[in-house]
Amino acid sequence: MKQRIHAFLFAALAVVALTGALARPASADALSDIKARGVLNVGVKADVLAFGFLNPKTNQYEGYEIDIAHELAKRLLGDPNKIKFTTVTAKTRSGLLDSGEIDMVIATFTITEQRKLVLDFSPPYFTDGIALLVQKNSGIKGLADLNNKTIGVAKGADTATRLTNKAAELGNVLLNFSAFETYGEIAAALQAGRVQAFSTDGSILKYYEQQDPSTVILPDRYSNEDYGVATKKGNDSLRDWVTAQINQLRSSETLKRWQQRWAIFNENQFK
Amino acid sequence: MTLGAWQSLFADWRSFAVGLEHTLVAAALALLFATILGVFFGLLGVAPVPAARTINRIYVEAIRNTPLLLQAFFFYYGLPRVHIVLPVLAVGVVSLSIYTGAFVAEVVRGGIQSVARGQLEAAYSQGFSFVQAMRYVVLPQALRVIIPPYTNQCVNLVKNTQILSLIAGADLVYQADTWSSENLLYGVAYMTVAVLYLAITLPLAAISRWLERRIGGPIEAGADA
Amino acid sequence: MSWHGFTVLFQPENLRFLWWGFTVTIEIAVCTIAISLASGVVLGIARYAGDTSRGRALRAIGLGASLYIETFRNLPMLLIMLAARFWSHLPPFWAAVAGMSIYTAAVIAEIVRAGLLAIPRGQWEAARSQGMSYMQAMRYIILPQGLRKVIPPTVGQFITVVKDTSYAWGLGIQELTGSGTIIFAKYVNPIETFSLIGLIYFVTNFSMAFAARSLESRLARRTF
Repeated sequence: MKQRIHAFLFAALAVVALTGALARPASADALSDIKARGVLNVGVKADVLAFGFLNPKTNQYEGYEIDIAHELAKRLLGDPNKIKFTTVTAKTRSGLLDSGEIDMVIATFTITEQRKLVLDFSPPYFTDGIALLVQKNSGIKGLADLNNKTIGVAKGADTATRLTNKAAELGNVLLNFSAFETYGEIAAALQAGRVQAFSTDGSILKYYEQQDPSTVILPDRYSNEDYGVATKKGNDSLRDWVTAQINQLRSSETLKRWQQRWAIFNENQFK
Repeated sequence: MTLGAWQSLFADWRSFAVGLEHTLVAAALALLFATILGVFFGLLGVAPVPAARTINRIYVEAIRNTPLLLQAFFFYYGLPRVHIVLPVLAVGVVSLSIYTGAFVAEVVRGGIQSVARGQLEAAYSQGFSFVQAMRYVVLPQALRVIIPPYTNQCVNLVKNTQILSLIAGADLVYQADTWSSENLLYGVAYMTVAVLYLAITLPLAAISRWLERRIGGPIEAGADA
Repeated sequence: MSWHGFTVLFQPENLRFLWWGFTVTIEIAVCTIAISLASGVVLGIARYAGDTSRGRALRAIGLGASLYIETFRNLPMLLIMLAARFWSHLPPFWAAVAGMSIYTAAVIAEIVRAGLLAIPRGQWEAARSQGMSYMQAMRYIILPQGLRKVIPPTVGQFITVVKDTSYAWGLGIQELTGSGTIIFAKYVNPIETFSLIGLIYFVTNFSMAFAARSLESRLARRTF
């Protein structure tokens, strides 16, 4: 019996030591690390038109968020092309940031109080709202019509929480959620009828509305989603620097110009 | 893993209960169908008809050499294209049954073949047909050899319900995955789900070992599914 | 299922994308096999030694090995991989390899232990009667026989590892299966895409199984 306890304690100690060894602490001077490295590592989306999209023909990333990334690289390292993009999803972006694979995330990442507990955000560079993509012939016109139905969301996104709160406000609306790995799978599930709505930020849904003309994005928006540039907690110098850049880009109306270029500007921005 | 994290987890205990329920239901149903499929195809594999044996080979080799997850995706996304939309749990049961069935078929076939050929011939000499010989002479002996690796497949089946997590099937791994990525609290979710799985699989594994000792049969270097 | 579904799948950019996924699959599999084979053999021997020896140190080590094996062998591999990915700070590829290795090592340990247990008692007694110590008996008599016996089922486990790499998709890694989901979502041809990918896995695994079977028959001919 005593031997079992010893063995168990040893194993537990080993596990703790291992996880401790594997956790890499944040660098107080991530900024100079990046300068020394000479390359800025940014996590971006590859499947969101006009924000972060990997063009299959050119094999280049393009979009509003890509433009922001290039500008940050230019300001920090002198050359907008000293940048390395990594495709992220809602589920993988925090992990990659934590492990140090990427220095920052510019990937339709919504600022929430809960997320602020574990990572840092810059001020918002875009404001969107959660929308619903439905089949045109389903007759669904709003959240209330989705009572007892299933909504497809992405794993790691805050969509389910926001919609549940909204449903609570409406009263007797009960929503079910199915979470998938990628947006493409949710769109496939919508087509198959496994989910009655596909929900995420409106700007992300545009691509899928385009792909499947039998679907339509409903006009309502639920909650304001502020996108911010995310950095690892503890990288204070980096966070402060990014904050300063975003603020400057905002006040100089550069962000507004870029948004207009990508046709995503609307009057809700920069309130 | 702070106290706050545990409080968050227990506040959402219903999601994990649903996950446990789905895992158990899928595993139980799949076990039933996998056994039926496995016995059927396993018998085909020892039939005196060459065509039957070929069917056995095709089924077993095709299914065992492709990933279970791929097969699940195939049914989950493919069937709607031919206008068959099954609820996700049904897709899980179908995939798990077909996949596990192939392994059970091999266990059954191996078990029957391990019974000396002489037994079958002796039965024939007594006037038994193939089916009668199987039923009264060969299978009862083969069961000794079949049951231990069969229970091993049962444990694998419970673990394999993890495919549901990648097709929004609300099993235990899905709950751990979605809850932890929404709340950014990973440790508590994974530890809890791990304990829940061990609560199911450890007893099953113990039963398997007990059966192996009681019923005997040669020790197989267990093939994992 | 349509002809168009196939033709768009066979466009060079898509085939290249799938090929990239296939290379990722093989990379994960090879790393996992290397690590889990080394650690699995050690764990299996440790557990066997703990069960068979009378020394306190060996029994303690054996107990530790048993705890590890029973814990990780009975958990779903994806769960272990997810924990490795999100709980530790390993980069995604290595988290997948770590998770898969932790699980596969436990499985291989049991294969090794079964092989060692299958060695007749007479071998131990003969070794001891020659004056060999426990360690000498293990080293010269038991292990060489046991390890050779477990080569076929171990190769079988490698096939399983190649299939298991599909779970890396749950960690966001674009291996072969995951690449398939991205392609079919774009072109809406799941049946065609997954059939092709299934074929790729099948050819890979069936060839390995075939090689394993010929290895097994060659080894069998060499024993007494």
